[in-house]
Amino acid sequence: MIEGNEKILRDYGLEGSGCSRPAGQEGGDFFEFISCNESSVFIVIGDVMGKGFQAARQMETIRHSLRECIRIDSHPLEIVRRLNKLGGYELRKCGSFATLCLLCYDGKNGRLTCVNAGHHLPLLLSNGEVREVQCRGVAIGFWEDYLGSGAEEVFLAAGDAVVLYTDGLVEACSPGEQRYGQERLKKAVRLQNGVNAKCMKDKILADLDTFTRGICQKDDVTLVVMKVTGKAGGTGGD
Amino acid sequence: MEIRVRQQKGIATLEVEGELDFSNVERLQREIQRHSEEVVVVDLQGLKFTDSSGVGMLLSQVRLFYRQGRTLKFVRIPSLIQEDLEVLGFFRVLEVLETKPNAQ
Repeated sequence: MIEGNEKILRDYGLEGSGCSRPAGQEGGDFFEFISCNESSVFIVIGDVMGKGFQAARQMETIRHSLRECIRIDSHPLEIVRRLNKLGGYELRKCGSFATLCLLCYDGKNGRLTCVNAGHHLPLLLSNGEVREVQCRGVAIGFWEDYLGSGAEEVFLAAGDAVVLYTDGLVEACSPGEQRYGQERLKKAVRLQNGVNAKCMKDKILADLDTFTRGICQKDDVTLVVMKVTGKAGGTGGD
Repeated sequence: MEIRVRQQKGIATLEVEGELDFSNVERLQREIQRHSEEVVVVDLQGLKFTDSSGVGMLLSQVRLFYRQGRTLKFVRIPSLIQEDLEVLGFFRVLEVLETKPNAQ
């Protein structure tokens, strides 16, 4: 299981918790928290096509390109457009692609900007209700230019949480070959209202394990939870 | 994975059954490429699962067909797989290819 660098979120009034369970020795899933400036931080989750060494290598290349794109222009939509030009070309050459959801949180005003490239929509838990943040777009490498709905903005308040996940989570199967699915995930998220990010992540994964009864899955499973504490520089989170 | 082939009136139809993943994706690719008809139809009704390598291969074949001035169609896509492809933006790319077949 791979843990993340969530401690940096504390400087932005957030707490976070994430983990990735590769289906094999190496996976193509990734997540990361990247500081932008003193008020903004990026939260990213992604999934590179395939499994094993090649997927892991391409995943590292995409992460490197993403950091480079953030350095050039920190607007989330421009980052994804540029990443699709740079990383997408390389992926397409190999007949591959990657999905990615990029969030940028501004701790000064609580604004969360979301850009999506072929990834499952982020889930927002606010006042005990769960909804999807409607940002859509095609996967990195699918097309020469990024095609998407643009940057979607939502404003978060203290106590709101955002859940990101890869397809391996909702497509995980029970011994009877039923999918875990979106609706069960939303229900599991709704039940975590009021708890901290690490507890949310652990409880959702525990619900997944109960559903799958621990049988081996075909795909990597990655789950990231970020929650607004409203206390920049505080000691929330893990 | 099983592939059955029907040929009728200049159209080849490949009926795919089972699971499509990295272990057998090249077999379906070879079968798609083996046919020279102007229209090749891939019937996915019996497809139980596809991983991302299957999706990547299908999209690359669609693009190849468009470059050749031919058509590769997918029909009877099971609802769960349809949802997965929608999330990825697969159908959005097919729409763009249909409106701008030379823009690739």
